[in-house]
Amino acid sequence: MNLFTKYNRLLLAVLLVGLLSIGFLFYNALNYTLNSKIDENLREELIEAMDYQHVKNIFPAPPEDVDLVIEYKPALKVSRKQYSGDTTFYNPRKKQTEFARYLKADIIFGKSPFHVIILNSKAAQSRQVQIVFWAIIIPVVILFGLLAIFNRYLLMKLWLPFYDILNQIKSFNIMKASYKALKTNISEFQQLDEALQQMTGQIEDDFREIKLFTENASHEMMTPIAIINSKLDTLLQSGTLAENDSNALLDLYKATNRLNKINQSLLLLVKIDHELLGEKVLLKPAELIEQKKDNFKELIDERHIKITCLTDDTTILGNKYQFDILLSNLFSNAIRHNINGGEIRIELKEGELRFENTGSKGELPQGQIFERFYKDPQSDGVGLGLSILKQICIKQGFSLQYTYRPFFHCFEVKFS
Amino acid sequence: MKILIIEDEPGLSSAIKDYLTTEGNLCETALTYETAYQKISLYTYDCILLDLMLPDGNGFKLLQHLKSLKKAEGVIIISARNALDDRITGLNLGADDYLIKPFHLSELNARIAAIIRRKNNLYSNVLNFNEISINLDAKMITVNEQEVHFTRKEYDLLLYFIYNKGKAISKSAAAEHLWGDDADMADSFDFIYTHIKNVRKKLSDAGAQDYFHSVYGVGYRFADI
Repeated sequence: MNLFTKYNRLLLAVLLVGLLSIGFLFYNALNYTLNSKIDENLREELIEAMDYQHVKNIFPAPPEDVDLVIEYKPALKVSRKQYSGDTTFYNPRKKQTEFARYLKADIIFGKSPFHVIILNSKAAQSRQVQIVFWAIIIPVVILFGLLAIFNRYLLMKLWLPFYDILNQIKSFNIMKASYKALKTNISEFQQLDEALQQMTGQIEDDFREIKLFTENASHEMMTPIAIINSKLDTLLQSGTLAENDSNALLDLYKATNRLNKINQSLLLLVKIDHELLGEKVLLKPAELIEQKKDNFKELIDERHIKITCLTDDTTILGNKYQFDILLSNLFSNAIRHNINGGEIRIELKEGELRFENTGSKGELPQGQIFERFYKDPQSDGVGLGLSILKQICIKQGFSLQYTYRPFFHCFEVKFS
Repeated sequence: MKILIIEDEPGLSSAIKDYLTTEGNLCETALTYETAYQKISLYTYDCILLDLMLPDGNGFKLLQHLKSLKKAEGVIIISARNALDDRITGLNLGADDYLIKPFHLSELNARIAAIIRRKNNLYSNVLNFNEISINLDAKMITVNEQEVHFTRKEYDLLLYFIYNKGKAISKSAAAEHLWGDDADMADSFDFIYTHIKNVRKKLSDAGAQDYFHSVYGVGYRFADI
């Protein structure tokens, strides 16, 4: 529910309750005043009738007023009490049933008691009440209606800066435009605007810093590795290496290679995290898979792995560099953890890529395999390949799943 | 060949210099932006190795300066920054190649050789090593004028060894040359052995001498002796 709807509903509810209570109170007050007026008239009428009867010794003739009826009925005993209230009666002179006010009293006429009922029709008063009531309620309703409409448009205008800010936050992209300050003279919005400017500015600064850090860290860590590597290369040229030295050199090569790989993988993860890897383009996975297969051919042949590849002409929208890494990791994973003479099955069908490979291990722990630095104790990898895979899938909006059915490890990437 | 090494790390700079000097190249080093700027302005080189991050300046500016002097030096950027946009910027500014640290010196040597060949040797695109002759345009290898069929990777490997003739090449360097980023299977250097065996066999079947010498399991040396 948006702000206006909520506000308008509340406003309408309050107005409705207010209107009802005002109407109720007003109607009752008006009614009460009119009733007391009629009652007073009725009492006067009774006194007049009693005076008349007292003086002339007969009941007075029916009054000329068409709305006033006086009836006499013989009674058994006399009570001093008078009753008044609302009733309906048949007005013989108007020939219709009407609402009325009555006054009941007992009088003594020639030693025998009588009930006197004086009825005064309320028809005229009712009309008065209605006229007064509507004359007041209608303008109030119109006023409330205008107020609601006015509120809606006024609020809409007042909240315009807020919606501007909201839209900007929604479309905020650190890679593209930065936050634009807005012009408003409402102090709350000014404060919000200032806070947001500060916040986005901070985020942008941090982002730039991280980007810079990534590159600098890369430089700082790569340079010593480069020195080690190049010194090893020079050492290799000496030509006077004994077998022991050779073995040591080989171990050093492996260690620097590993160090380099860890370093590059970590930097790659940072880059993927911060989406520093460029735009999305239309890719043809089938072609790329074929190229990769070709590149890994020797590795696959070396281990006598049988590879089957079924691809259709699916196209996907993705970052070429990241997709390349994704395929590389899937391939090297499937080769590295395979058994000699094993099998790799690749299937690309309807936006789904499946990599299945035989392996020496049983099912891998689902929850852990995508964690950074998780690896099989016997594995010679650095334990970052699968977390890079996962990270790429998250950033590219693909879903990644690992399943195991006896002897086959299956990684499934859904592009959608 | 005259090569200028612009690199602020003395260790790396000297290692590159040593490696390239044994090839018979004349190497000069510049450890700072200032000296590099002066050397570029005053002298002419066949190839310049350019580090992007120097303590007192940016390598890109040196590249721009070089291009503004309209000099025809081949430039290889050697940088630890492998941000894609850096690469693109570098190549757009007129660098011939981009090598990311850490690299093997043999890889650097092969790339320098390729660039110098492209710059100077436009007429003859044939590389000879005794009875082996490589047509670089057709990517064709002949032994005693008899064509030998090589796969693409075998061809690359042989060319790489010939560019680094006389040098010992580690298996990891050869693997990285062929597979690039995908050569991450650290313990799989042995597959290089299979490749070399194939190349050797094809060459000897065609009547060439065996120029591959093992270096105690670390790697190979391609040499006359």
